[in-house]
Amino acid sequence: MHRRDWLKGTTAAGMALLSSRWTVAADRAAMLSEKFPDFASSVLAKARELGASFADLHLMQLDEESLFVREEMVQGVGASSSQGGSVRVLVDGAWGFAATSEISAPGLLALVDAAVAMAKGQAGWRQLPVEIESLPSHTGTWHQPVESDPFAVSLEEKVEGLLAVNRAALGKGASYCHSHFSAVRERKWLANSFGTQVEQSRIRIHPGFNITVVDPKKGEFATRASLRPPRGAGWEHISEWDAAAESALAVEQAREKMAAPPVVPGRYDLVIAPSNLWLTVHETVGHPTELDRALGYEANFAGTSFCTPDKLDSLRYGSEIVNLFADRSAEGGLSTVRWDDDGVETSGKEFPIVKDGIFRNFQMALGQAAIIGHKGGSNGCAYADSFDAFPIQRMPNISLQPGTDAAVTAESLIAGVENGIFIEGNGSWSIDQQRYNFQFTGQAFHRIRNGKLDGMFRDVAYQGNSVDFWNACDGLGGAPSYELGGAMNCGKGQPQQVAPVSHGAVPARFRQINVLNTAAESGKSVAVRNRAREEGAWCCTQRSTHSWA
Amino acid sequence: MGLTESQLEALCEMVLGLVSAEEAEISADSSETLVLRSANNDLTTNAFNHTVSVSLSVSFGKRSASILLNQTDDTSLREAVKKVEAMARLAPEDPEALPPVEPGSYAEPLTWAEATAEMTPGDALSRLRPVIEAARAAGVESAGYLLRTVSRSAFANSRGVLVPSHDTRLGFSLTARTGEGRGSGWASTQVTDTTDLDLLPVGERAITKALASRNAQARPAGRTTVVLEAAAARDLLSLLAWGLDRRDFDEGRNFLNGLVPEGGDPIGQPLFGEKATVFSDPRYAPAPCGVHSSGLPMNRTTWIEDGVLKTLPVGRFWAQKKGISPQPGPGNLIMPGEGKSLDELIATVEDGVLVTRFWYLRMVQPQTLLYTGLTRDGTFAIRNGKIAGPVNNYRFNESPVNVLRNLAASGAPERVLGSESQMPMHVPALVVKDFNLSSVSDAS
Repeated sequence: MHRRDWLKGTTAAGMALLSSRWTVAADRAAMLSEKFPDFASSVLAKARELGASFADLHLMQLDEESLFVREEMVQGVGASSSQGGSVRVLVDGAWGFAATSEISAPGLLALVDAAVAMAKGQAGWRQLPVEIESLPSHTGTWHQPVESDPFAVSLEEKVEGLLAVNRAALGKGASYCHSHFSAVRERKWLANSFGTQVEQSRIRIHPGFNITVVDPKKGEFATRASLRPPRGAGWEHISEWDAAAESALAVEQAREKMAAPPVVPGRYDLVIAPSNLWLTVHETVGHPTELDRALGYEANFAGTSFCTPDKLDSLRYGSEIVNLFADRSAEGGLSTVRWDDDGVETSGKEFPIVKDGIFRNFQMALGQAAIIGHKGGSNGCAYADSFDAFPIQRMPNISLQPGTDAAVTAESLIAGVENGIFIEGNGSWSIDQQRYNFQFTGQAFHRIRNGKLDGMFRDVAYQGNSVDFWNACDGLGGAPSYELGGAMNCGKGQPQQVAPVSHGAVPARFRQINVLNTAAESGKSVAVRNRAREEGAWCCTQRSTHSWA
Repeated sequence: MGLTESQLEALCEMVLGLVSAEEAEISADSSETLVLRSANNDLTTNAFNHTVSVSLSVSFGKRSASILLNQTDDTSLREAVKKVEAMARLAPEDPEALPPVEPGSYAEPLTWAEATAEMTPGDALSRLRPVIEAARAAGVESAGYLLRTVSRSAFANSRGVLVPSHDTRLGFSLTARTGEGRGSGWASTQVTDTTDLDLLPVGERAITKALASRNAQARPAGRTTVVLEAAAARDLLSLLAWGLDRRDFDEGRNFLNGLVPEGGDPIGQPLFGEKATVFSDPRYAPAPCGVHSSGLPMNRTTWIEDGVLKTLPVGRFWAQKKGISPQPGPGNLIMPGEGKSLDELIATVEDGVLVTRFWYLRMVQPQTLLYTGLTRDGTFAIRNGKIAGPVNNYRFNESPVNVLRNLAASGAPERVLGSESQMPMHVPALVVKDFNLSSVSDAS
């Protein structure tokens, strides 16, 4: 299905699938749908009376289920449901915001007073007024279609699924195996003073496991986590996954990793699987191209960005084969919605971030585009993670596009490597507050020798500079190798808000990337360090490749 | 607005009265949150929020389930009880399940101050305004975050525990950045009682540091002596504390397994440097915390004393299995330090780096508790016992175990904010030798 058709398709079947097994949640949602027009009318009218040039009302209901199994013991059967509302006003060029979990006409009207008072409290000492663009108005509903509502799947089936994963791992000799499942249903109602009044809901799901093998004699252990990503999808995302087979494979890989030779630090050609690369895309392209960061709005926490507005259309972000595309409309995308939390329709707002290696666009929310002279207004990237959170600019689905040759696979990329590493699964990740210097690990590190996989390495991390890294890309898998990864919990803002986001990627090859030995970094493995020195690799791993600018 | 402690207690008792399961445990919380956030010397996303939450766990024998909701009307609570009991009945038996804790003796918490609870949005705005005006006057761009929370809660269970709690807290941090020379500075504070709180000195520290950090010079990476200001020290100490776990050690998957021989016990071992002492104490006035963990009393606990590991957190099931007492994890962390000033600490360093704070700390290798992260917002070279000027930022790869092993000197404890958690901590600046600054970061 074309993504826009899919996004606009509000089907009766989709609606039916959203009926909740927890009746109070479904009943309350129905009540909110019924009462929302009246709430919106009175809240927006009061905001206007009190001098707001813009106002919006958000209601949100978040229902979640979770399950945790330790070995063969079911230890965490949980559910949660939260509802609440917020009012945001723009008065005399200042924002005010207030929220409550009490959804009633008096409760919501009281928010208008509190929000307006907050905005007026800035009178006389603002430096610059907040200015926002006009947005088209929208009305309607959208409910994300899923094949199988995870909230309607029996607890028995969910428990049995996780137990099967753990039994398979333990049967293969894992010392321990923890598995988990969570599902979230997010319902939102939004009305604003531009005339928008919409309702939408979506579902996301996250399965996973982590196995541990222990060697008590050496005091060592190794882990291998599941490669299955979270997805904006229903139970079908789990039923289509042979989790038991993956957990058995994970045990073999963890054992192999524990016995593998430590990597000698130095420069290697890397072939990176989508199960690892999605997170590298997220950190080295997703966050740097958030306009609010570039403008300083996140300076006190998430940071700013090397990617400043003056670099638009000129920065060579990556090699010519690198294309990174942003959308909030991809089927299965964790960031996919029909309208963002400013009321911008996302369909038709898709945009390239990097095209043919050149930086082309920032991610933007309401009131940001004009600051950099961009005439198109917001590109639909606002999100609030809960009813009491101010909507801020958050990441759309940002994906590395396939190469032009559909026949290229991970194997063919590996064939072009003499001495390298094939990395699967995401492990540790970290990047500086302006998104230059990153360091990532993974779950499995396969040694590449003369174009073929040859065992594994242990203790691998790759470190580099975002722009250098993407410019070192010289090979991309074709469209059939494209996979969608992602995270449920991207953090940003103060108080911190967590956002779900997906990143598609193909296997990709990067030349001469700096690889560290993590044991040596901890000061533990002196032998490795000495060996590296003998081979002339150590000293050059300890320097940034960039000069101080 | 919000519920009082007695209303929360009544709510807990009412819900327990609805429960037909054999055992139940409930926690109810009512919070008022005031947020002032600024960037580019103007307020941005402020908020004034009121929320409640009710968390209920029930069990039939060894079958259990839990539910969390934020509505307290009769219908919602009854439906929640019905739902969680249905879930518990369906849940398989957990051989490790235990009944709720028996009533204990709980200390009176020190976590409440009327002045903080009564602070209005207008009060907070008037305290922040001088900070932003000082930034404007200094010609720097500031971005700040003030979070004031007032929370009241009650915890109860079917064994007769009923404990009310309350907590007031204000945290404030400011980043100042210069247009010229890529300078950046940061400072913070956290208090329980806002009576004598003046945000301006905090802002001025950040501004001064930003101006001092302009035009940073290149300095190579490598192992070196670092002076970690309290914000950086608290990040590493909290990561160490969270890495301590008796069960993980017994199961062979803790960093401590690599530090003691097979069959050995880490308790009583001098695993850290002699200058390392870390404890928790809910009634430690400069940084108090709650007095119970799910009904289990929290008391003063020494984790490390003079470099010797004294205590490991242990859950109730594992404690029972091993015939030892359960030990909740830390609710606060205190490192008394040696009381030296920052200048005195810097004076002890011939060649090293002063770190204001860290960013994006992540576990790299659980086997050695190796963490990575980056310096930011004020990194300075130290030469011959003095600040020699601003230098580039760094990525580090280091274990907090090594930090406490290589601890050379420490300052006077402060209550500041960190990058990793806002748990109350009172920790000093640390001088740490042989700290692994792995590579240079071009960020400023």
